Amino acid sequence: MPETRLLFKDIDVPGIDRIDVYGQHGGYQSLRKAVLDMTPEAVLAEVMASNLRGRGGAGFPTGRKWSFLPKDGRTRYLVCNADESEPGTCKDQEIIYRHPHLLIEGVAASAYAIGAEHAFIYLRGEFKVGYQILERAIAEARGKGYLGDDVLGSGRRIDITLYLGAGAYICGEETALLNSLEGKRGHPRLKPPFPAMVGLYGMPTVVNNVETLSAVVPILAMGGAAYARLGTEKSTGTKLFSVSGPVRNPGNFEVELGKVTLRELVFDLAGGPLEGREIKGIIPGGSSVPILPPEKLDVALDYEALAAAGTMLGSGGVIVLDDRSCVVKSTLRLMEFYRHESCGFCTPCREGTVWLGQVLERIEAGLGQANDLDLLRSLSRNIEGRTFCPLGEAAIAVLQSGLETYRDEYQAHIDQGRCPLGEAAR
Amino acid sequence: MNGENLAKARELLRHFPHESSALIPILHLVEQEFEYIPDAEVHVIADLMGITAAYVESVLTFYSLFHRQPTGKYLIQVCRGLSCQLMGADELSSFLYEGLGVQRNGTTPDGMFTVEAVECVALCKNAPAVQINLEFYPNMTREKLEAFLDKAREEVPTDA
Ligand SMILES: Cc1cc2nc3c(=O)[nH]c(=O)nc-3n(C[C@H](O)[C@H](O)[C@H](O)COP(=O)(O)O)c2cc1C
Ligand code: SF4
Ligand code: FES
Repeated sequence: MPETRLLFKDIDVPGIDRIDVYGQHGGYQSLRKAVLDMTPEAVLAEVMASNLRGRGGAGFPTGRKWSFLPKDGRTRYLVCNADESEPGTCKDQEIIYRHPHLLIEGVAASAYAIGAEHAFIYLRGEFKVGYQILERAIAEARGKGYLGDDVLGSGRRIDITLYLGAGAYICGEETALLNSLEGKRGHPRLKPPFPAMVGLYGMPTVVNNVETLSAVVPILAMGGAAYARLGTEKSTGTKLFSVSGPVRNPGNFEVELGKVTLRELVFDLAGGPLEGREIKGIIPGGSSVPILPPEKLDVALDYEALAAAGTMLGSGGVIVLDDRSCVVKSTLRLMEFYRHESCGFCTPCREGTVWLGQVLERIEAGLGQANDLDLLRSLSRNIEGRTFCPLGEAAIAVLQSGLETYRDEYQAHIDQGRCPLGEAAR
Repeated sequence: MNGENLAKARELLRHFPHESSALIPILHLVEQEFEYIPDAEVHVIADLMGITAAYVESVLTFYSLFHRQPTGKYLIQVCRGLSCQLMGADELSSFLYEGLGVQRNGTTPDGMFTVEAVECVALCKNAPAVQINLEFYPNMTREKLEAFLDKAREEVPTDA
């Protein structure tokens, strides 16, 4: 099962991070075409026609999001979400570190389309080296006239400002990101108003993921309609999937949506489980989505099929658990993550993740009590639908699904007073 | 802040459409210079930006890359995200804790190494991942860590 490479077409070309090499491989042709031959409305129309959906996790149609900007003459901003902190997800990182000009071209073309003169790229604080890589690439692009006060002589101003966060998962949530970009604590904002109306510095703002904005480059090159012919009717184009955990060939893979199954991705592209091991389960969309048991691996990788299978495509971070992975320990690890990353603004999430963590800790330590599984269920139900932002719900996805699918493994921890997998469990 | 950073901080105040956006970049400058955020600098920043020290404090404590205690010359961050845990991150962190005689988030008495266990650093395909002074060290092993520690110790004379 081959990959279908649009974003990653040239990623293995040596020196593709330099503007000359990028240019030799067709780089900046999409921006050139947009700025010189097309109106912003025409660019928006191509993105609409492509049916591109946001690659940051929620899958919202990108063209539609852009079309919500009010036409009221206020300054508009484009913000690229490069916070990539969803456990199991490392695709944006590869674009930034290895293919920075693809992102810069996508950001510039998108800024043109929405009528923003000023775009920001918000990078998670850990991407300090990525910041330096983008800094150099932006300087190269300015030197060639792709960014600046008069892009390619069009009279249009487009510039990019980089911003380095400082370590907080919640800043990936778009409104928390905007607060952080304004120099505040990263608490999410109440929606509505949506960023399209009241965003960065109170101005109309579009927030899009790194992969989403990068996809605008091939969309303009091939045309929105041609892009929409890839994938399925509702899940068009290609998507990057990060496969991690105990497999032979972990990595980022670009596949046509809906044309490859989760099994093909994990077995054919990522090499399948390690020697002598068996897959116990897969979390297919980053750590915030329900886990799938081995019986469900033939699900196609697209938004609709994964939803029908009871999970989500999310960020495309595919985490594989094998027969040496303890479900309780893994779930505890995730709960510790959400407990640490809860911004503390609302009670069900702030307190609930602490309580859930404590109960999971004692089960994992072999000190679980008879009614602990019911306790986990009821604590989860008190978070479900009751939090200010989606992080709360994200925190219980693997737990709630795992309590159904791996009930016996949880029960065995309580009955035997230890992990049934023994010392070697991870 | 030293003179150079103070000048950079003043430039940052004009770098964004709104001055408020300069706070986190300025905190990065301070963290880089001192390897943590000293109390005195919280006041320097507050005065520079015309905001209260309490506000600076409230922002900086939200973010885990800002430290309120001195850190070592080498900040070793072992990823404990799920993918890395599944690939043996725990063994790496115990090796560091035991080998360096520190606890989680602890610094060696000579001020050389701080060891932290951090959340997913977006290098999951190269698990287990480590960051040292925010540079990626993919597919880490105990041997590679040992080699890194040896080299770091050689570079700095013991009486330093
Ligand atoms: C807790 C939380 C964390 C998020 N983290 C990220 C992230 O790291 N990167 C990202 O692009 N989107 C993230 N999102 C989604 C953003 O809120 C937003 O939907 C996205 O940036 C929109 O871009 P897109 O439409 O291009 O996907 C996160 C959402 C939540 C609730
Ligand atoms: S759900 Fe959690 S992260 Fe979101 S606002 Fe509430 S406390 Fe903060
Ligand atoms: S889990 Fe360690 S890098 Fe993502």
